[in-house]
Amino acid sequence: MAGAGQTDTQLVEGNTTETDAVAAVAIGLSAVLFALAVAAMFERVSLTGTLAGVQTVTLLGGLLTALGVAVIAFGAGSRLGYVETDPDPSAGLIAGFGAAVPWVVVGGGVASQTLGLGTAGGAVGALVVGGVAFALTVLPREDLGSTLPLGSLLTLTGLVFLTGVIGPDWVWDLGWAQTASITAEFFIPVATLFSALYGGWASAKSYGGFGARGRHMGAYVLVYLNALSIVAFLFILVAYVVVQGVPGLLTGFELGLGTGPQTTILGVSVTLPVSVPFVMNGVALLNDFQGVLPAIVGTVWLVIGAVVLAVPLGVGAAVFLTEYADRGRFTQVVEVATNGLWSTPSIVFGLFGFAFLIPRFGNGKSLLSGMITLGFMLLPLVVITSREAMLSVPDEYRDASAALGVSKWQTIRSVVLPAALPGVVTGVILGVGRIAGETAPILLTMAGGTFIPGSQTVDVIGSFQFTAAPPFVANPALLEATSALPYQLFALITAGVGLGSSVSDPNAFRWATALVLLVVVLSFYAIGIATRYYFRRRLTHT
Amino acid sequence: MSSVTDAPAGRVTNALGARLRRVREFVTETESPALAIIAAMTLSLLASLVGFLVVSDLTIVPFVVFLAAAGIGWFRYQEETAYVIALMMTVSTILILGLIIVFIFRESVPVLRYESATVLGVSVPGLRMFIQPNWDAVSPPIRYSMVPMIHGTVMVTLIASAVAAPLGVSAALFISEIAPATVREVVKPGVEILAGIPSIVYGFIGFTVLGPWASDQFQTTGQGSYLFVGIVVGLMALPTVVSVAEDALSSVPESMKSGSLAMGTTDWQTMTSITLPAAFSGVSSAVLLGVGRAIGETMAATVMLRGVPRLTEPLVNVFYGQETLTSIIARNYGEADGLQMDALFVAGVILFVTVLVISVGAQYIEWRMHEKLGGEV
Repeated sequence: MAGAGQTDTQLVEGNTTETDAVAAVAIGLSAVLFALAVAAMFERVSLTGTLAGVQTVTLLGGLLTALGVAVIAFGAGSRLGYVETDPDPSAGLIAGFGAAVPWVVVGGGVASQTLGLGTAGGAVGALVVGGVAFALTVLPREDLGSTLPLGSLLTLTGLVFLTGVIGPDWVWDLGWAQTASITAEFFIPVATLFSALYGGWASAKSYGGFGARGRHMGAYVLVYLNALSIVAFLFILVAYVVVQGVPGLLTGFELGLGTGPQTTILGVSVTLPVSVPFVMNGVALLNDFQGVLPAIVGTVWLVIGAVVLAVPLGVGAAVFLTEYADRGRFTQVVEVATNGLWSTPSIVFGLFGFAFLIPRFGNGKSLLSGMITLGFMLLPLVVITSREAMLSVPDEYRDASAALGVSKWQTIRSVVLPAALPGVVTGVILGVGRIAGETAPILLTMAGGTFIPGSQTVDVIGSFQFTAAPPFVANPALLEATSALPYQLFALITAGVGLGSSVSDPNAFRWATALVLLVVVLSFYAIGIATRYYFRRRLTHT
Repeated sequence: MSSVTDAPAGRVTNALGARLRRVREFVTETESPALAIIAAMTLSLLASLVGFLVVSDLTIVPFVVFLAAAGIGWFRYQEETAYVIALMMTVSTILILGLIIVFIFRESVPVLRYESATVLGVSVPGLRMFIQPNWDAVSPPIRYSMVPMIHGTVMVTLIASAVAAPLGVSAALFISEIAPATVREVVKPGVEILAGIPSIVYGFIGFTVLGPWASDQFQTTGQGSYLFVGIVVGLMALPTVVSVAEDALSSVPESMKSGSLAMGTTDWQTMTSITLPAAFSGVSSAVLLGVGRAIGETMAATVMLRGVPRLTEPLVNVFYGQETLTSIIARNYGEADGLQMDALFVAGVILFVTVLVISVGAQYIEWRMHEKLGGEV
């Protein structure tokens, strides 16, 4: 983006590289301030300590002041004609509101607290100062309007930090019945963060020479920063769970022939060459290492049950809606109903399962109730994604098939469904990822017990029985409460201190559970996204 | 012209008539054995539904009959059977929504009777849950007020929307309009994965990392604040906003954008004066759906909040987090019985109705947008 911007500048405006450099330095300064603010917020940089030989707060204040002065200087220089720019007559209402918001906060805070005028005085102060900032942004020419109020804000914040009015020991007791205070540890990073954002916005506008191109630059800087932050947030989140969870996951990890537990694969008894007790054990008094195997198996069965229920129902409904039904009142009602189901809170599904399913399956929490509840949650997702996939099958396919004289159902079965399969599969996998991590519905319908012994790992297939009395088929495993990973994590969190007696290192155990849950859920997503890419590539190649 | 002047009742009769005619056509066109099988399937499925509803052990009998009929139908009259099964599956989605409504409303009736209050001499059931702020399930007077939880949900939702709406719309603009193809291929799955992180994991991190940090920063007694629950829930609602808003933005016809660009505007000008206004209703329905997600978010709130159902003092004190409509259900279902359990169902009803209204509103707005953009979408 920067490269493209530079080329434009040279093409459009000739040689203005020195002033561009000033604005570019200002953008860089904002980026540094932004990074410092984030680091200070997460206590990577100590506010009371020093940074590069200077007190941190003083350094932040100095940088903010320098940025503010640079922004004002650029605006004033442009207004007086020293800098060649292309400003509009006004910075516009949106910029006006953007500049007014921080000044409202400053005005209100100063009037009510520093001057001690109380709430009413604060409101008046906020309105007056905000109004002035708004007017100063909207009324003058754009180069002044979009730099002066923001530059002064930066300079003011910087000076407040520099002079020590707000130092590292500053505390503002809000004086509320439930006590709360705003401390410097919170205020300084947050104020710096927002100031840096405003500084970056103003200097990006200056860099683009104001006008349409300046606004373009200013907006792009913020939008790119936002996208970058979201991706960074995701990475930090996942990395944090991994780092915290791996030690617990790998306690007692062994690699080598004959170390793992015995299992039967295709009728042959095999001793696995790895041993990861955390995912291969339950909890028992005599275990060397405790694990969450029952919860993993519970999650797997839960997902299988939900898929078996929801996928046929959902795909069938989608077939009817796209292929058989004419668009009308009925399809509209179904659409509203599925979208309504999609946005229904998960806890409401839990309540529904509690009221509807539990009395019908042996009056206790059971795996079966959990499966059906999650199936109901999955259903709208399957309907919506399958419908989209079927709608995107070109009508030519259907016409060509119909021209061969085959019936409608044959067309659906051998033309529409195969063509829509990639979309359906992707949708189902992503939906499964979502329900596999749901806690609230199974909380009320299925889950019991914080620690499940390994002996209680559910075996659904092995426990089907036929009985003489109705309902003739019984499966005790389906009708028992069991555990699942998300519930296990919830139970571990709420169990709190009581955990110590069963697990040697409760915290590591919790983080490891969180990691296993995250791995299970994200692998569904990874598979789903990979499937989509695979099919898309295949479709574009043929 | 006559259809305009007709009363709505007349239109309903017309529609019914058309439907009846279609059913009659279907009956005359279909062979009678196939009809018999369809009738058997329909009746046996209805019977199993009734059996299931009245908790009968014999439910399995009609269900087996249904399976048998469907099996025979599949081999002999696949065309008709497939149609009927697809229709039944479609009806089942509506049926599930109906069952949810019936069952959660039914369970909440007793406590609504208990919490009646008299207004102008008329006893209004459930009113006392909304006019006084006490929740006390243990010591008399036993009161189940929803006010503290509604307050909590409103606070959390406001903060969450303030986080999710601007960031979400901006990220949607980035993905749909700004990002180069390669960057988009990274950011878009990233946002999807963000949606996949289980809420309990967010809650766990919020509980172990954010909670102690926040209580330290704001010098509060104990941990749990609406502010941080709101921020976390906002981040969780973000992917919903992004994906729906992105759909809306990319459904703006390319010709409109190109037309604007051809006038010599910058990309950003095109976005603010063409794309965003054209997709405005879609984007606002994205924000609405995000709000719906935030209202219904349960586990993160349950784990991070204090679990004491009372109002914060003062009401704007976001540094203390007591309880929301969702978290009170998840926290209390275990020991609750009788009226208290029913009170939890009232919380569920409030949640369900609010979110359903939001969802229908969002759909209406989207539908309006599609009408406006006409055949090009």
